[in-house]
Amino acid sequence: MDATPAVRLDGVSKQFADSYAVHRLDLDIEAGQFFSLLGPSGCGKTTTLRMIGGFSDPTEGSVQLAGEDVTALPPNRRNVNTVFQSYALFDHLSIADNVAFGLKRNGVAKAEIRQRVGEMLELVQLSGLADRGPRTLSGGQRQRVALARALVNRPAVLLLDEPLAALDLKLRRQMQVELKQIQREVGITFVFVTHDQDEALTMSDRIAVMSEGRIEQCGTPEDVYEHPASRFVASFMGTSNLMSGTYRGGAVALEGGPALPVGARTGIADGTSVSVSVRPEKIWLSDFEPGMSVLSGVIRETVYSGPTTTYLIELAPGVTLSVLEQNTARARMEDRWSGGETVEFGWRPEHCLVLA
Amino acid sequence: MTLLEPPSTTAPSRPAVRARNRRGRGRADRKPRVLIAVTALFFALLYLPIAVVALFSFNSKKSLTVFGGFSLRWYRAFVHDDVLLSSLGTSLRISLVAMAGSVVLGVALALGLVRCRTRLGSLAGLVMLVPLITPEIVTGVASMLLFKGLGVDLSTGTVMLAEITFSISYVTVILRSRVAALNPEVEEAALDLGATRWQAVRLVTLPALLPAVLASAVLIFALVFDDFVLAYFTTGVDPQPLSVRIYSAIRFGVQPTINAVGTLMLAGSVCLIALALFIPRLFGRRGGLDILSGE
Repeated sequence: MDATPAVRLDGVSKQFADSYAVHRLDLDIEAGQFFSLLGPSGCGKTTTLRMIGGFSDPTEGSVQLAGEDVTALPPNRRNVNTVFQSYALFDHLSIADNVAFGLKRNGVAKAEIRQRVGEMLELVQLSGLADRGPRTLSGGQRQRVALARALVNRPAVLLLDEPLAALDLKLRRQMQVELKQIQREVGITFVFVTHDQDEALTMSDRIAVMSEGRIEQCGTPEDVYEHPASRFVASFMGTSNLMSGTYRGGAVALEGGPALPVGARTGIADGTSVSVSVRPEKIWLSDFEPGMSVLSGVIRETVYSGPTTTYLIELAPGVTLSVLEQNTARARMEDRWSGGETVEFGWRPEHCLVLA
Repeated sequence: MTLLEPPSTTAPSRPAVRARNRRGRGRADRKPRVLIAVTALFFALLYLPIAVVALFSFNSKKSLTVFGGFSLRWYRAFVHDDVLLSSLGTSLRISLVAMAGSVVLGVALALGLVRCRTRLGSLAGLVMLVPLITPEIVTGVASMLLFKGLGVDLSTGTVMLAEITFSISYVTVILRSRVAALNPEVEEAALDLGATRWQAVRLVTLPALLPAVLASAVLIFALVFDDFVLAYFTTGVDPQPLSVRIYSAIRFGVQPTINAVGTLMLAGSVCLIALALFIPRLFGRRGGLDILSGE
């Protein structure tokens, strides 16, 4: 793989008045990747994207594209294109003219423009609508026009600012798959901003989870989900059973509850306050294996939701765990637990994460 | 309400329908006659004088009180009146220049005011509204004194300058809300696709504002063409704008030709205002003249 990252942010900050939207961010994005910036609203992900695109000037630090410092360059002189959240189509131009806009600005020959616009409209499946106006299209179609208008310029990096947020759930799922396919086909680096962790997990090669202007963790979807580096990442990515307690000699004593054996951890001193995290789907309710931590608790709630059932199990007063069980073919209705019963549950030690 | 019923339902008996209709037009639906009368009176007072002028413009006699029969005599007289014709030409020139000047400056001001978020910017936004509430006679006298004080001879040029200054506010008021309603991402998209700032404004922002720009241009043309007060104080002796010429002529006795001129001006203005209201619809969206049409 090319050693020069497609995008490099070097100590980039953006300060508004006296608060930081982005704080001393270092980030490398490899060429050809589908990279997601994920976080709740206000975490600085869109500001980061706008600084890469050139719409917002960093207060400090530098932005590099393919090794070239572009911090001082305006958007029209950066080899990146953007798909805006509102799509930002030009309503007075036809679909074909919208897509041709960038090529015309860059002085591409007419015949080539016609050919490339045609190819691009085919890629996003809008060939029949070239002469229509943007106002006559549906949300999903407008989204494709915005994508085609950006991609036709063959940018080194494509920036996408929550492009699917305005679509309904079904269309969104479909576009997620399509976007991923298109990205593989064109091989362009995608930087995708989203607050939807499902979306980031399904589409990305790598994810940077952001909070309060900083990157909490950067890694593959599996890394980020299975090995969250902080309490924030564990709770933001999917559901986690987060319990606070005090670490002492290979176990965490929960506040007002039992001690959970977590094994000896290097780098954590006795008496440190920590969080313990276990994913609901990593907790077993039967068929325990040797070596698992097995505890018992009282079922407080049973929530049936088709393919899965969620149990809320009270481990100790004030400590309730959520446990997810697949409703497989073998699981029978009458085998399901009901409220008030005391059950045993357990997990493999490696699925119990200790977060400082 | 009966219209909305699907035709497939079995027809109710006639008396039943009638009873329902009567109930439908209850007390609240009846139109009070007093209000109709007041409205009619209002329109009569507003338009009767104008109707009289229009009627007598077709009078075959010279009288302003007795209608002698239909004739185009006074229109013919107007067409052969060189002084009035040259004034008409002057007024058209003034209106066109004032329209172009105030639209260019007004659109630029609207763009600037919406995007400049400093305290000085919002102050400018308030000051911009002052010409709208200043009595026109004050603006007129002030303009005249300014030109005199600067040693500038009053002429068609000074009328143009005064009219442009006065009209910018209208253009800006109309355009401002349209500019504020623009999606800032659209201009950013143009920059993103390789356009320079100026290209982004010319290729994306101005086309989006076009309906409102055209509508305000037509409005300004009509306002300036009809304007008397400002023109009276800032014009030179020769050539004079049409409105000023008419006023001067009336002082020496009313010629029926004036009726013909007035009727033509009225017809022209009505057409222009109608055009201004119609233009946004031409583009299939609500335009800049919502203020005027009350929509």
